[in-house]
Amino acid sequence: MKIGLFIPCYVDAVYPEVGVATYKLLRHLGLDVEYPENQTCCGQPMANAGFESQAIPLAQKFEAKFKGYDYIVAPSVSCTAFVRLNYPRLLGGKTAQHTEEGHVCETEHTHEGHVCETAKKAMDVVEFLHDVVKVKQRLGTFPHKVSLHNSCHGVRELGLSSPSEMHVDKFNKIKDLLQLVDGINVVEPERPDECCGFGGMFSIEETAISAQMGRDKVERHIATGAEYITGPDCSCLMHMAGVAKKQGLNIQFKHVVEILAAGL
Amino acid sequence: MSTQHSKAAKEFLKNQKYAKWHDATFWAVRSKRDNMAQGLDEWEQLREKASAIKRHTITHLDEYLDQFSTAAEKNGCIVHWAKDAQEFNEIVYGILKNHDVKKMVKSKSMLTEECEMNPYLESKGIEVVETDLGERIIQLKGQKPSHIVMPAIHLNHDDVGELFEEKGISKEKGNHDPTYLTYMARLSLRNEFLTADAGMTGANFGIAETGDIVVCTNEGNADMSTSCPKLHIAAIGLEKVIPNYECLAVFQRMLCRAGTGQPTTTYTSHFRKARPTAHEMHIILVDNGRSEWIGNPEHWEVLKCIRCGSCMNTCPVYRRSGGYSYSYFIPGPVGINLGMLRDEQQHSGNVSACTLCLSCQTVCPVKIDLGDQIYKWRQQLDEFGTANPEKKLMCNGMSMLYGSPALYKMATAVSPLANIIPPFILNSGLNPWAEGHEMMKFPKKPFHTIIKELKD
Amino acid sequence: MASKEDILKKYRANVRQQFDMPDLSDIKATTYPEPLVQFVKMSEMVGGQVIEVDPGRDINTLIKGLYPDAKEIASNLPEVTIATRNPDTVGRARDLNGTDVGIIRGMFGVAENGCIWIPQQMKEKAVCFISENLVILLPKSQIVNNMHEAYKRIEFNDYGYGTFISGPSKTADIAQVLVMGAQAARSVTILLMPE
Repeated sequence: MKIGLFIPCYVDAVYPEVGVATYKLLRHLGLDVEYPENQTCCGQPMANAGFESQAIPLAQKFEAKFKGYDYIVAPSVSCTAFVRLNYPRLLGGKTAQHTEEGHVCETEHTHEGHVCETAKKAMDVVEFLHDVVKVKQRLGTFPHKVSLHNSCHGVRELGLSSPSEMHVDKFNKIKDLLQLVDGINVVEPERPDECCGFGGMFSIEETAISAQMGRDKVERHIATGAEYITGPDCSCLMHMAGVAKKQGLNIQFKHVVEILAAGL
Repeated sequence: MSTQHSKAAKEFLKNQKYAKWHDATFWAVRSKRDNMAQGLDEWEQLREKASAIKRHTITHLDEYLDQFSTAAEKNGCIVHWAKDAQEFNEIVYGILKNHDVKKMVKSKSMLTEECEMNPYLESKGIEVVETDLGERIIQLKGQKPSHIVMPAIHLNHDDVGELFEEKGISKEKGNHDPTYLTYMARLSLRNEFLTADAGMTGANFGIAETGDIVVCTNEGNADMSTSCPKLHIAAIGLEKVIPNYECLAVFQRMLCRAGTGQPTTTYTSHFRKARPTAHEMHIILVDNGRSEWIGNPEHWEVLKCIRCGSCMNTCPVYRRSGGYSYSYFIPGPVGINLGMLRDEQQHSGNVSACTLCLSCQTVCPVKIDLGDQIYKWRQQLDEFGTANPEKKLMCNGMSMLYGSPALYKMATAVSPLANIIPPFILNSGLNPWAEGHEMMKFPKKPFHTIIKELKD
Repeated sequence: MASKEDILKKYRANVRQQFDMPDLSDIKATTYPEPLVQFVKMSEMVGGQVIEVDPGRDINTLIKGLYPDAKEIASNLPEVTIATRNPDTVGRARDLNGTDVGIIRGMFGVAENGCIWIPQQMKEKAVCFISENLVILLPKSQIVNNMHEAYKRIEFNDYGYGTFISGPSKTADIAQVLVMGAQAARSVTILLMPE
């Protein structure tokens, strides 16, 4: 099994330690991991802002760069979701502007001729470890109380946990993995999967609501008594950390993979 | 990079106590919905069936509308067809004029709000009395509804108490107890029911097979509006017609559970014809854009909407900005989508009032892909000419940066310099991120450099 | 009517893709081991009062006992002897205003939500809503599990009106405080009648 490590732009530039932890953890599990050079961005920020056609060249680069890997693993639910759920459609030439006459766009796209198997192999590191590697062995050591942040893309696009809105059997893949860490105490805040308010461009366009949502979320995490907020996406953590610092709210942040790899 | 919504939301949030109450109130309704959903093992199956029934029905709607109107006419109803809001208002006025109506009581109808019927009739000298308590309150206050199910939710009991004192509805000055105020409103509205010449209802559902108009209320005001006056006019949007009772059971079970967290509304009333001592029952089927929206390849599924309001209750943005922050009369996720269908030029600003968290489409009882559709509307803004120019500029910049690995690497090499930009520049208006956040620190080495060193 | 054809034609022309009606026969609707017990529980939860009437008990004395201060009682039911007004014979619907107790018949109850199916059985249906207090006579053996079952058996008569009523009229429109007695009945008493 050959794994291509996909490190999103802001992880690369702002949270490289998360990328390092991902790499180290996968190697620790005996996996064959490669980091193809010259990665930039998946295109999600532009797409969510309304310019998804700008993600097409990035999708093509991704396709070329990660061809041949069995899995492409990234420590980011939002980027993974964007790649897996949108690249096949974008590479098939179907954007909102270019829907052919008579064609009704559906969320699952079928199209003739174009091969885009690569994007379908993109997985977030949590779902990869949980569903593919099926890790059962003990992992790192992290004797702290952590409050779990269930990022929206993880819950409602990648199925990392049961959405609180639905009547389904309860599950949480992030929690399952964290239970493999020694000394850890995992709790969840009230409103366990309410959005943190980052939303990409939302954070700089609807600044007041974004900050309010971030603050409300951090306060709920703090109310659990946890020392750390952890989650599967650095954009949520970055947003909450920024808000917390500005508001003088005292709590620390770590990406899930950093905790899983702690001390390894 | 502000919009009407972001500016209004900023104002809304300035009153922290009120904003927190607003958020908590709607979260409580969302929680009640959750309890209902958890209490029915078949909940997700019902959602799937409801969605499938609607997809079938609205794509065969011409047949069902024909069946419905035929059945209603056979029952003795007079059926009208309004192509748009103006025609609807004129038809209503025509009926009222023919029957010499001076005063009409009405139960809740967002459709009449959509058509701006009240001001039209009032300009023609007809008194229109809202009888849903929430609607009556905002009517007396001269305000618009801030939510489609709880229109006066933004007012507290003091606001209502003072209003009722001012309008002579309550007698005890200073008594703002909701039970007392509700009782005083009851007495006032009771008089209206008894003296009105006509009663208008909306319709939650129209049943094609039998010609029933079905109206769900907790207050019983639709039934009071149709029990005393001699004329009943029912206003119904085309998409509210469903095939039969077997389908109705699915929707009736979901409507109130989803919208208010109750197992049912107090009254689920079926109207087939005028009562024996009334003159006539009229039904007005309203198009006003619906026959066009069904043709929209990305957005036709919004026609599945049963107007339950659960998307608003769960929307973290709606909860923290309130109905008045939105430019369209229906707020929240479904309002963003409906507003764009109505007038994309006027309502494009709402489209960024969303983090794409997708909670809305996860609660929606008929599984409308509300959040996905908001994403799709964003893709069309440039084509509409309503894309935000600053956003476009930023995206073009990012596109260029990310399109060139060399350029990108250069940027990561210099980004640590941002760490030493003085706060007075970082926190200036030029950096919207700094409004709510403290800037992150850029590490000296990005991952793509560190990994090389790790491997060497 | 010109508008009807125009609208239907336009709509038909714009439909891009059609979907079939789903099969509804496999809905796993909740049922109850004891529907009557659930019905009583739900009726009480929505603010109703439920009284089981023993065989032979005179409902007129029962109702008079429940509402000793009632002056105006409206009903067209043959078994009710205490009525002072009759919704079949009043001059106008509004003449029923000021009714303290309205007594009507329900056909069957729905366990999942405390609803009672009440087809119009009187000239002026106002009695069901205008009365301050509503008494509903319900045959206690006629309880269905849920609305799927209910909608299979509702029947209309020539009056062309029927309603499901679940508890008293209510609203939470003022500051989200639940108040019983909005525009219609302020209390509902269900008399479960023996066979």
